[in-house]
Amino acid sequence: MSGSQFVELLVGGLAIGCIYSLIALGFTMIIRASGVLHFAQGELVMLGAMFGVTAHRLLPLPFAPLLLVGMVFGGLAAVAIELGVYRTLRVRRIPLINITIATIGMSILLQNTGQLVWGSEPIAYPKLFATTGYSLGPAHVAPQLVWIIGMGVLFMLLLQLFLAFTRTGRAMQAAAQRPETAQLMGINLTRITAYTYGIAGALGGGAGVLLGSLFYASFNMGFLPAIKAFVAATLGGLGSIGGAMFGGIIFGLIETFAAIWVSTSYKDAVGMVMLILILLVWPEGLVGLMRKGR
Amino acid sequence: MVLVLFILVPIVYPQEYVVHVLGLAIIFAIASLALQLLLGFAGLLSIGQAAFLGIGAYTSAILTTTYKLPFELAFLAAGLSAGIASLTLVPITRLRGVYLAVATLGFTIIIHLVLLNEEWLTGGPFGILNIPWPSLGPWRLRGETSIYYLCLAILVATFIALRRLIPSRFGRALQAIMLDEDAARASGIDLTYYKSQAFVVAAVITGFAGSLFAHHSQYLNPNDFTFWKSIEILLMVAVGGIGSFAGAVTGAFVVTLLPEFLRAADEYRMVIFGAMLIVFMGLGHRGLAGLFSAVAVRVLQRRPLAEQAPAPGLSRQ
Repeated sequence: MSGSQFVELLVGGLAIGCIYSLIALGFTMIIRASGVLHFAQGELVMLGAMFGVTAHRLLPLPFAPLLLVGMVFGGLAAVAIELGVYRTLRVRRIPLINITIATIGMSILLQNTGQLVWGSEPIAYPKLFATTGYSLGPAHVAPQLVWIIGMGVLFMLLLQLFLAFTRTGRAMQAAAQRPETAQLMGINLTRITAYTYGIAGALGGGAGVLLGSLFYASFNMGFLPAIKAFVAATLGGLGSIGGAMFGGIIFGLIETFAAIWVSTSYKDAVGMVMLILILLVWPEGLVGLMRKGR
Repeated sequence: MVLVLFILVPIVYPQEYVVHVLGLAIIFAIASLALQLLLGFAGLLSIGQAAFLGIGAYTSAILTTTYKLPFELAFLAAGLSAGIASLTLVPITRLRGVYLAVATLGFTIIIHLVLLNEEWLTGGPFGILNIPWPSLGPWRLRGETSIYYLCLAILVATFIALRRLIPSRFGRALQAIMLDEDAARASGIDLTYYKSQAFVVAAVITGFAGSLFAHHSQYLNPNDFTFWKSIEILLMVAVGGIGSFAGAVTGAFVVTLLPEFLRAADEYRMVIFGAMLIVFMGLGHRGLAGLFSAVAVRVLQRRPLAEQAPAPGLSRQ
């Protein structure tokens, strides 16, 4: 493999990895806040991508505002689902495993609603980027990939700042660690959980616009990337914000390089074998391993 | 009584399609009984059952088409190969909860890719065609009705075997593990031994179900064994009620037949299916089985002589 090819693969892997990280962050935030493995996360990705396409049809916006549209609609959809469905189940004291399976029902519901609204054919994403590549030495890198990495990293940084420094962000952290104690300290759990879903949905919706711009938008585009992002979150260390970011990027790189070094047909299997091996040796994922090594 | 109903169905409703779909529901009922053993009695959340179903189905199909072995041998080999495959996964039964779920999910994805890509063995994306009807000794079972009865017989056998397993030492050890792992270990129960044994037993049963699936459809395609199938089997157990074998069978029928009944709703079919799934989950962890027994208890309570037998599997609470 030549150096330029390596650089191009590296950038591609980082870009898809950033998208996985954004989706994985949504999984992580929800699992921390409510213990639910949210299977409908991929459908939030789909909704973000679809609303992005629709917005572009109505008004040919450039990339950044379009991304915002995807995030806003993804976030709103997630809040609506949480307040309308999951909260009702929680109030009725339905066991967690049932709520988790109800999210599979939500995934089926949203996917097929998406198919009714936007049809079953994949929708080509509008050209949002210049086609001339940047030159990095002998390697050519598409501006789109650079944008995706930039936006992905930006959102992850913003999320970290939000969780560490704002009142709401810290309330979320507190509610995730000790819900009862947080409630005693005057934190409104209903509102905080809704915010958490909102942020998870916004990250998913944003990831949807990024993913759509890379390939296309379709009603079932979200399910498989979401499963992979969840695997990535587990690889990094489930329930850890850093683990989700790190795991997503690692998984994107593994997938991209496995396609070249192993085989295109088995690129997904390589990630899964890695996952099983890592879980067997260090069940807390890569982040848990690093913490132990310190 | 329910059994009599099942025996009568092909006689009352001789349409091939109805019998075919019911046969499919019975096969999935066998697979969901196996998952019920894991989830409801050992607390092991596996999203890997489609892999064992696929291994069983392909083993049986390859042995009867390429090697022309009789069905009985292929059927046994299907359970055996699924069991052997599950042995490689025994280390992961140490994992808890979501971690086990993700690891088994990964295993399903790997097996699906193998089925899809190893064309020399599995026919790749084209699958395996012309899988023969099953035979039993001198009899060759032809047609939907006879294979329906074969599947029904195996379902009943599995059901009785599992019901007898639960009050045994093995079954009680599993339930102890599910209720409190640390207490069980302190009482001298070897956790890994019992968990992995449950895992292998479930895989063997699922492998048998896979063999039936192959000969029932007479055609196999790798896309029948994606992780989505694993999730479907999980849905069956959850809809029917976690912790009840009768519930697992009910759930398998609901999840397999509901989309057929919703055909009238045409394009809204899967939307309604998703919504109904959420509502079923809202019934609580006892699912449909819990709902039925609650209704039954309420009806029986009006009669003074009625005996209130607890529903099977609910005694764990």
